[in-house]
Amino acid sequence: MSTPAPAPARRPLASYVVGRSGLRRPGPDAWRTAGITVLCVLVAMGLAALLVTISGGSPVEVVDALFTGSVSDTAGWSQTLVNAAPLLLVALGACIANRAGVFNIGQEGQLLIGAMVGCFVALRLQGPGWIVVTVALVAAAFGGGAWSGISAAMYYTRGTNVVVSTLLLTFIAAQVVQFAVNSPSLLQESGMGSGPARPQSDAVPEYLRLASFGQYPDLTIGVGVIVAVVATVVLAVLLARSRWGFRLNMLGLNPMAARHAGIRASRLGGSALVLSGAFAGLAGGVILLGTVFRLQPAISNNFGWDGLLVALVARSRPGLALPVAVLFGALRSGSSYLAATGVPDYLVDVVQALLVLAFVVPPVLSALWARRIRNRAPVADTPARPSAAAPAKEEVPV
Amino acid sequence: MSHDRARTDGPVPALELRGVSKRYGPVVACDAVDLTVQRGEVHGLLGENGAGKSTLMKVLMGLVHADAGEIHRDGARVQVHTPLEAAELGLGMVHQHFSLIEPLTVWENVALGEPGRIDREAICADVEAVGARYGLAIDPTATVERLSAGERQRVEVIKALRRDPKVLILDEPTSVLTIAESAALFEVLRTAVAAEGRGVILISHKLAEITAATDVVSVLRRGRLAFHCRTADTSAPELARQMVGRDVSLRSEGAALGLVVTDDPAKHLTPVLAGGLDAVPAEPPAPEAPADVPGTAALALHGLCVAGPDGRTLLDSLDLEVATGEIVALYGVEGNGQATLGDLLSGLMAPDAGEVRVDGRPVSLDRPGALHEAGVGVIPEDRHRSGVVLDMSVADNLVMTDLRRFSGRLLMRRAQIRAQAEELVERFAIRTPSIDAPLRTLSGGNQQRVVLARELSAEPTVLVAAQPTHGLDVGAIEDMYARLREAAASGVAVLLISTELEEVMALASRIAVISSGRITGILDVADASPQRLGMLVGGEAA
Repeated sequence: MSTPAPAPARRPLASYVVGRSGLRRPGPDAWRTAGITVLCVLVAMGLAALLVTISGGSPVEVVDALFTGSVSDTAGWSQTLVNAAPLLLVALGACIANRAGVFNIGQEGQLLIGAMVGCFVALRLQGPGWIVVTVALVAAAFGGGAWSGISAAMYYTRGTNVVVSTLLLTFIAAQVVQFAVNSPSLLQESGMGSGPARPQSDAVPEYLRLASFGQYPDLTIGVGVIVAVVATVVLAVLLARSRWGFRLNMLGLNPMAARHAGIRASRLGGSALVLSGAFAGLAGGVILLGTVFRLQPAISNNFGWDGLLVALVARSRPGLALPVAVLFGALRSGSSYLAATGVPDYLVDVVQALLVLAFVVPPVLSALWARRIRNRAPVADTPARPSAAAPAKEEVPV
Repeated sequence: MSHDRARTDGPVPALELRGVSKRYGPVVACDAVDLTVQRGEVHGLLGENGAGKSTLMKVLMGLVHADAGEIHRDGARVQVHTPLEAAELGLGMVHQHFSLIEPLTVWENVALGEPGRIDREAICADVEAVGARYGLAIDPTATVERLSAGERQRVEVIKALRRDPKVLILDEPTSVLTIAESAALFEVLRTAVAAEGRGVILISHKLAEITAATDVVSVLRRGRLAFHCRTADTSAPELARQMVGRDVSLRSEGAALGLVVTDDPAKHLTPVLAGGLDAVPAEPPAPEAPADVPGTAALALHGLCVAGPDGRTLLDSLDLEVATGEIVALYGVEGNGQATLGDLLSGLMAPDAGEVRVDGRPVSLDRPGALHEAGVGVIPEDRHRSGVVLDMSVADNLVMTDLRRFSGRLLMRRAQIRAQAEELVERFAIRTPSIDAPLRTLSGGNQQRVVLARELSAEPTVLVAAQPTHGLDVGAIEDMYARLREAAASGVAVLLISTELEEVMALASRIAVISSGRITGILDVADASPQRLGMLVGGEAA
């Protein structure tokens, strides 16, 4: 009987999300996991093909359509990258929070708030274009960070579950944005002539929109993509090499040991949660100033949820999040070509979900399998020969 | 060896294991083990950690399936696939770690897991009847969380005995008991054995208990039956030798094996319980003030009070001082506040009242890491909980408490970390495939060395070692003892928190006894005897 720990005991969930060998070079466990992953992806593909067939389409046509719409030409690539940028930004934020062992799942709401704050600044602030754009993006990040900061404050002062609070705050965020775009005094568009004002903001003026390089039909790369890629590289280096990254990993993998080592969980974990919200908010700003140009209640368009999935599939590693975000972005841009095949485009969501499962389930299966092997090791029927007797424990006395 | 036992004519044994083998991958946990338990006999099963005792009992209880071998009950071959089958065969077990549900009452816990309708009155009557028969008085309507460790043990024993087992297995039953409670438990066993013809298997790593309480003893070593003998025909040193597989040096190993070094030159090693409790001194020893400590104490605890979340007192104005170069042991039965104190000194929690001074300076306990910065190194009781990060590398684990030393303004200095890790691995003889291997892949003893190496490399003023040898084998224990002595010799104040009497007697110069979160007495090791300590542990000298 040992005395119960007075601090709220938190299991290092990060070890599951980051992976047992997630921070290290692959061992035998990693190879087994990789093998199972391949199998799972194949099963997911099979299931997806089956679903397509059932709903009256042809899997070949669907693949062809997805391919055509996303990566078959430069225009497709351009669209894929436009989609990938906010996904990647959201995923980077999720990586930070996951590493610290706090699970923010409210990126959708943080992204909405970010877009709203960014919109407010872009529409109200006067000044040279690049300054207003920069300030708007920073403000968007602050907005998202503040929104997740509410969850951080509730968790570290009153112990409110982060998963629950970030999730529920998403719905509040949606209402706040609704309110803003329905209030003429806030962000509702100024009625231009006839007709009632719609629940959306005014369009952001031309000169405040994010620049992009390249002209249709050539490959175009927006500022949002560049920001996301640069952030990925910086974050990857910081997580792997910096003291901050080391402490973040420690906190996520063993909060008790981290505390012993002098880490204040409320400060480091709380700032990680705020930072993850800030990335989601930045993604909202990028969507607003890069593609949609006005605040609408549907502006988030599931980018928050999908970005979280990108981080899950990438096992909270920024380097992996980049290709995964591109893949998810391609699925998004490809899905708009699905209509021609007669397959409903929400099937892409199903396929996406199957893919996520295919990537998230294998580590768990692998661990279960390893345990099974340990418990029921195949052994010869005859008792072990004395000479073959290994030490009963791996411990070797000095 | 001793296969002839199985062939000898005699009474049909209550339980017989023949050639039981169990492997986990390449590791042979049990290798063709034979074991015979007669009716009316206490059979001691002795072995180091990892010798295969637990695996053997799990096979017996149907928790693990043997790869080979047979189990016979009263001469008939039986199959045990599940714990329920084991219970039907008359096998009952009291596990080392209590399997009681704390918010439930005693009778509810006793009834737990029984099929059929539950009759409260009948069960309560049963509990009282069993209690009366064996002298295990307990109130069946009491809530378990209000019971002391000894009382909980009683509930476990009653639970097992109520099902009328023909063979009762006790796994390390005394780890939470005071010496007096242990003696009482062995009395109960004696009754169950002698009067009712039950067989008992007593698993222990403490030689003293085995020699005092068993009729027959078997020693397991590395999964094999190494020795089997009537207890009367052997001696503690002989058993120690059989357990380890070589001669045992007097001091540290003796302590590691549960022997106390006495002043009697003729009898170097004396099992603690051998003399029983008859020799208890007439007057209880007076608690001594931690006076004559030269200079300022390196570590001073003053009036530490901690209340648990349920309002229970965990630490009750605890005072203790440890001087430079001294090893002070905090001895007591598990669950008397040691874990709380360990957490407190690891910086995992702040006390409700009281202060901790290091080198005379008070340490702010609210700030994580403050104790470490002040020069307190800690080997925590549960290293996996707060000592290491299993999924990080050996190198990372070796530097994690001193990140500032190993990083620039922003980035970690990998080269410097590697150099430090290589050096510590070398100096502390840590066996690891590489410094980049995840800590998880190391054995318990080597993980413990990583913790020790890290904490000592910070050149602490104070080293707190909480149960530093739990779960280690003799070789690793010996090594740990040597390191602790070395640390003290180099001027570190060592606070050893331990529940092992032999360990504190072998290492410490002063022994403070903790009971219910209070220090009940502090003895110089020269004045300390198992009996005096035993009384303090029971809180008698309060």
